[in-house]
Amino acid sequence: MMRDEVMLEVESLNVHYGDFQALHNVSLSIKRGSVVSLIGSNGAGKTTLLNAIMGVNKPTSGAISFLGERVDGLPTHKIVAKGLAMSPEGGRVFPKMTVKENLLMGAYLPNARGKKVAAMEKVFSLFPVLKEKSDDESTFLSGGQRQMLAISRALMGAPSLLFCDEISLGLAPVIIKDIYRTIGAISHEGLTIVLVEQDVKRSLKYSDYSYVMLKGKIVLEGKSAELSEDEVRDAYFGTNRYAHY
Amino acid sequence: MEIVQSIVNGIMLGGLYAVIGIGMSIVFGIMGLTNLAHGDLVIVGTFLCMSLAAQFGGNLFLSLGLTAILMVLIGFILQKYLVNKVLDKGTEPALIATFSISICMANLLLLLFGADARSIQTPIASTNIVDTAYFSISAVYFLDFVTALVVIAALHYLLGHTYFGRAIRAASGDAGAAELMGVDTKKTYSYAMCLSMLTAAIAGMLVGMTFVFYPSTGTQYLIIAFAVVVIGGMGSLAGTLVGGVVLGLAQLLGAYFFGVGYQLLCGYLVLLILLTVKPEGLLSTAVRK
Amino acid sequence: MSSGMKASRWGNKHLAQKPGIVCLMAMFLVSLPFWADEYITTIFIQILLYMSLGHMWNLLAGYTGLVSLGQQMFIGLGGYSLAVITEVYHLPMLLGIFTGGLVSVLFAWLISHPIFKMRGVYFTIGTWIAAEALAVFFSNWTFVRSGQGFNITISYGLSTGDIYFVALAAGAGSMALVFLLLRSRIGLALMAMRDNEHAAEAIGIDLYRTKLMCFLLAAFVTGITGGAFYLSIAYIQPFAAFGIDWTVAMVFMVIIGGIGTMEGPVIGAAFYVLMKQYLYAYPGISMILLGTTAIGIILLAPKGIMGMVQERYGLDLVSVRRWSKEG
Repeated sequence: MMRDEVMLEVESLNVHYGDFQALHNVSLSIKRGSVVSLIGSNGAGKTTLLNAIMGVNKPTSGAISFLGERVDGLPTHKIVAKGLAMSPEGGRVFPKMTVKENLLMGAYLPNARGKKVAAMEKVFSLFPVLKEKSDDESTFLSGGQRQMLAISRALMGAPSLLFCDEISLGLAPVIIKDIYRTIGAISHEGLTIVLVEQDVKRSLKYSDYSYVMLKGKIVLEGKSAELSEDEVRDAYFGTNRYAHY
Repeated sequence: MEIVQSIVNGIMLGGLYAVIGIGMSIVFGIMGLTNLAHGDLVIVGTFLCMSLAAQFGGNLFLSLGLTAILMVLIGFILQKYLVNKVLDKGTEPALIATFSISICMANLLLLLFGADARSIQTPIASTNIVDTAYFSISAVYFLDFVTALVVIAALHYLLGHTYFGRAIRAASGDAGAAELMGVDTKKTYSYAMCLSMLTAAIAGMLVGMTFVFYPSTGTQYLIIAFAVVVIGGMGSLAGTLVGGVVLGLAQLLGAYFFGVGYQLLCGYLVLLILLTVKPEGLLSTAVRK
Repeated sequence: MSSGMKASRWGNKHLAQKPGIVCLMAMFLVSLPFWADEYITTIFIQILLYMSLGHMWNLLAGYTGLVSLGQQMFIGLGGYSLAVITEVYHLPMLLGIFTGGLVSVLFAWLISHPIFKMRGVYFTIGTWIAAEALAVFFSNWTFVRSGQGFNITISYGLSTGDIYFVALAAGAGSMALVFLLLRSRIGLALMAMRDNEHAAEAIGIDLYRTKLMCFLLAAFVTGITGGAFYLSIAYIQPFAAFGIDWTVAMVFMVIIGGIGTMEGPVIGAAFYVLMKQYLYAYPGISMILLGTTAIGIILLAPKGIMGMVQERYGLDLVSVRRWSKEG
């Protein structure tokens, strides 16, 4: 396992919604084993980028490659089968299914199905509250628990790259800290993680590398440890140096 | 005590109605599609069963099996070339598209079979399973009810305890999230439609054995299917049985109190009242928006 | 379905602004029975009456967003009103037809409260069931001779020309009514509702009242048209009068002709009547053909024939949009 291997490569991606251009020439690369954060406010294009990578939107031009294979234009379920997983914004847990059934669905893919028992044990050790509530219907969970379920469900598929879309949205700080600690643990085991967040401080703290988006473009990137919070905030809000975007 | 007989018949017929309605419930619950062609598809099944039975010397098992295969095929084609394409366009185009299919099917049957009354001959046609002083249960009605129980139990297992069923439930709960699990939602919808057609085939055979039918009977059964689904609650399996029985009782008790001519009308009135007052269904705990 | 609101590139090319053409058409239609033979006159009767039904179904489904599969209830009520007024009470035919409209409006008003509580597909099937319920009720009602029905003997004394003028009144009247309605405040309300119901409500549009007005108007005109139809058919029986076949005609006409346009029902009616005539010997086939055409239209050209014409040429023969002075 080469530390510097590029898992996901996005090259000059352009995405349009009708006449409106949502992404302008976006390029990024995610290295194996790293934790990358994608920072931006609402409307900056994070969701559009994620949707393009996961096959929900079709890009107008550009390329998306995962482990060397082109994946742009493929339907979502085929992309997921290659090892990409996402905990979507809001969790989107299946409403009329129990926690256990949600997790079982996470292991839907054939290669994950065989390992589902071990995977569930693993997930329960990461988030013990899910084990307690395993027979409860997912709608009875609190916001934080639902987010934990969403992440666990994504993990059940034994992915090689995990996208976490706004996992801290609407949650109490204590819960967020809890979840991020677990994310850290998962990362230490070697899983490549991409955190999509609005929270600048937290994003920089928990990631190795960061991309900042503004108005559909990547305006700033770099090793998280080397980026200053002020510079990131300027890029985020489009102030000072970044006012011309 | 004729009223007891009406009640018994109402319950037994409820089983038949439930089997008719289940197909519609599946398609609605999973794709959000109200298939206005459902009634006519059931009758297509009835005609297929009848013709195949004639070909195979009255062997109903064989004809049911073949009918089921043909119906599943028809469903798959309809899903792939019509329904999937029309689902993205909104609810009104989908309604009108399925309405058009309904008309095409009914007229196709008319063309192929003519307007005469038909029925499916069975050896158990005039026998009674139970014969007491107070009421009797005809073998066919009993078969209708038992089949409903078996079908519902089978579907309950399928949907609750297999990955096939879970995928269907997931796709109906949140299609996008299901895709994220690796589920091919378009294919899953096709499977749901095939499941619906399978139940329609079974319902078709039962209808042919229980009642006289014509190419135009589809409309009647569409309304029955819709009534069952509305009364019991869209997408609820147990609900369809409840819905069927309520409808059956409404019809037969209506006939008992007001006369046979009013049988259908009573069913319609019960349904209209429910549509106004509690369209989510009798069993539903959902709150009206 | 969207109503094809595209700004015209060719400016004000709507027929209503060209009174010359309207006059010519009026003269053509009014004089028809005097120079055309029986057959052609009968065809035009059919086209005019079906067009009237189409306009009303289009008003409901295309402009108000109410997909009704139960308009046949008003056709039946209209037809039976004519039958009862002329056969039982021996009163004039025009009174019978007008009563048909009245009875239809009253019935529509009666069921409006419960039926508007049903939303979306529930409304659609609710209207269908109401029609079926009426069919069963009428077939058991001895006052209207139950399943036997009526022979409408007053028709025997009428010439094709007489019936034609009734049909012309119904057809032209329905078209004029829709035209005027859409240009009125209700028309504006409809367009606002079409784009966004919540927003429309927020600016003070009374959704319920708007929908009710359209529903009642459609009931009235459909009832009168039903009476006119049965004047030409001369025999009424409950299951045919309240049958789904009427709605089949309405749906196919409007979908094929172009939903949400003024010209759509006209084109659709012509298409429908001519196709049925052409395939008269093969009744089942005409329905199958119509059904497949409708499906084809929904999949490939959901705005129908007129919608395609509008998109291609930016043309509006009979516009219902309000043009600004600069046009």
